[in-house]
Amino acid sequence: MSTPLSQALATLRRRYGDAVIQSGDTLSRAAAVWPTGLPTLDSRLTAGGLPLGRLSLLAAPTSPGASGRLTLLQALSAAASRERTVVYLDLAGSLDPGFLADLGADLEALLVVRPPSGRWGEGLSMARSLVVAGAPWLAVALPPGAPGGSRGDPGWEHRLVGLVEAVSARQAVCLVAAAAPVPPALSYAASLALGCEAAGWQEAHGDVVGLRTRLTVLASKVGAPGETASLLLRYPRPFATAGVVGRPAVVDLSATAETVRAQVPAAAAG
Amino acid sequence: MSPPPRILCARYPHLALVAAWAGHPELRGEPVVVGGAAELRLPVLAASAAAQAAGVRPGQPLREAQQRCPAAAFVAADETAVARLREALLERLCRLAPIVEVGDEAAYCDLSGRHAAHPEEPRWAIAVARSVTDLLDDDGVAVGVASSRLVAGVAALRAGSRRIRRIAPGEEAAFLAPLPLDSLPVDAGIAARLAALGLDCVGAVANLSSGDLQRQFGPAGKDLWHRARGEDGVGEWPPVPRTGRSAAPGGDVSLVAGGAASPPRRLGERLLLEGGVGDLEALRFAVHRCALELGERLRRHGRRAAVITLVCELDRAEPAELRIAPLHPPGSGAELWPVALELLAGLRLPAPVTAVRLEIEGLQGRVGRQVDLWRHGDAAGEEISGAASRLRARFGSAAVRRAALAVDPGDLPERRFRWAEPGPDAGGGADGGDGGGGHAPASGAALPGRRREAVVPVMPALRR
Repeated sequence: MSTPLSQALATLRRRYGDAVIQSGDTLSRAAAVWPTGLPTLDSRLTAGGLPLGRLSLLAAPTSPGASGRLTLLQALSAAASRERTVVYLDLAGSLDPGFLADLGADLEALLVVRPPSGRWGEGLSMARSLVVAGAPWLAVALPPGAPGGSRGDPGWEHRLVGLVEAVSARQAVCLVAAAAPVPPALSYAASLALGCEAAGWQEAHGDVVGLRTRLTVLASKVGAPGETASLLLRYPRPFATAGVVGRPAVVDLSATAETVRAQVPAAAAG
Repeated sequence: MSPPPRILCARYPHLALVAAWAGHPELRGEPVVVGGAAELRLPVLAASAAAQAAGVRPGQPLREAQQRCPAAAFVAADETAVARLREALLERLCRLAPIVEVGDEAAYCDLSGRHAAHPEEPRWAIAVARSVTDLLDDDGVAVGVASSRLVAGVAALRAGSRRIRRIAPGEEAAFLAPLPLDSLPVDAGIAARLAALGLDCVGAVANLSSGDLQRQFGPAGKDLWHRARGEDGVGEWPPVPRTGRSAAPGGDVSLVAGGAASPPRRLGERLLLEGGVGDLEALRFAVHRCALELGERLRRHGRRAAVITLVCELDRAEPAELRIAPLHPPGSGAELWPVALELLAGLRLPAPVTAVRLEIEGLQGRVGRQVDLWRHGDAAGEEISGAASRLRARFGSAAVRRAALAVDPGDLPERRFRWAEPGPDAGGGADGGDGGGGHAPASGAALPGRRREAVVPVMPALRR
């Protein structure tokens, strides 16, 4: 009773997972979004927020130095943790829970995943297990360089496909921060790719209090690419009191249109 | 947008009478009084139409009933048979409506929204009426459909046997207006006082102001004013959890008793396949869709399913059915889908499939705690904790952790937090001393000008 078409579909699903072939009504359901609460991100750059059931990418430019991608990732994770469980896959090994707490994160709702081997494939597989179990928000911080370093990490692309499939099935939010050069498989899997480029430090009384970041929609399967907007990633004061935590960590700069003249130090990291 | 409420009332002879007729078919059409032997000091439970024509009424003493109708047959009520009939009726109606209330003389169904197999309300009502008639094997079923329970009941009463009376939305007051006041559940004293004033029909009462009635009769007067306009009293029909989706046979089943809704006992999804389908890929798609829909409803109700049944309705052949009681009851679409797929693989399908039906029964509480309604996905907290525990067992305790702020952080920024095991008891599962020293510096720590200030203990409660 099976037709050549059904056999071909079954073969594709076996090889690449269920997410590769979807019906029209499934695609329409996937248009739901998680609003970030940042008007620039929700209205100008995306259609309402980060898409549910899809992989979103924060990609740093090719130039070295700070880009703000990890700070933005952590700020959005902190915001999400106040309303849902967040899984933070820390492949970059740079997560400071204290910094997240300063951003206002609810640490009780934040699971930090660090694969012992540090391999991408293993971490993506662990994240997939948690997403399948029902984790609704996943943040992935990828380190610069090739997957697995010089030794390589064979098979990580397949784990990535598995993760994308789980994210699609559970309608979870998945936000990946990656440095240049972004692996082609990751770029291909992302439905929304935002370029994250530093535009200068924000200083006050001689201290750096934040980073100005220019976000560009590099590629989007859920909207139009090419849009650009600026954000101020304000660093929270360490050991801040509750009143200070209430300040917004990310400020929309599109309305103010301030001129950025400061230079970005090349040695500073993400 | 929620569909307008539509409620069906099906009136039938008392179930005790139906049970008596089932045991003694020769009594059909004869005067029958249910309640026991005539010499017993018991009230009449039910009476057939012939007995009622002779003046017998439920609640009368049996002796009086015998005096009024000496030719009547007096039979005892078979409680077991009545309970069996009630259960069967409930079972049958639950396949047709999402919310059902079954009584001894009337049943109410929620017809709000649309039914997958009966898209039009008249056909849906006919299906319910036929279902009741077939089960009770009695022609005395009368059906009323209206926007409120009260008007549906009155419409059924006015419809007569083998009739369906539908009251269009907004016409409830006009329907009730010419009826006598005793059509409504009104206190006899109030009815007598109103009749003395010449207000002997519902419309006359409805034209009065709410304040006048309330001043005269207190809360009962205000209640009467609402009823005269065809509105239900408070708590008479529980809020219907409408989703705006079409109700499939075996849809959400809530058993309603005494005005309180209970969780559903079983759920079902049915997908019609036009023209019959023999393609396994299409069947897989249909079952997958049913599983996801059911899983979503399971999540919404916070339940797990103990028994899963997959029925494939075949073209000109008996339906193929397979049932399983999985070891781990599924509580979501992702968990239900593998079980449904296993059932589909086990079915033998000799003919094209015209419809796929996935049913789940034995619904039980999903978790033993109150879900945090303000946290998205909190119902999956145990599953996430379980998955994290499995990952820790496989990859080591440092693979998945949860951070908690230290009460006394000390001098070093890395001591501001401690690592704890994920799970509900994360507070007591700290790894102790792990701190944050084992990883790279905090993000942004290398940035110029960012300096740590004096140590101030930060309580976690302040963060919220």
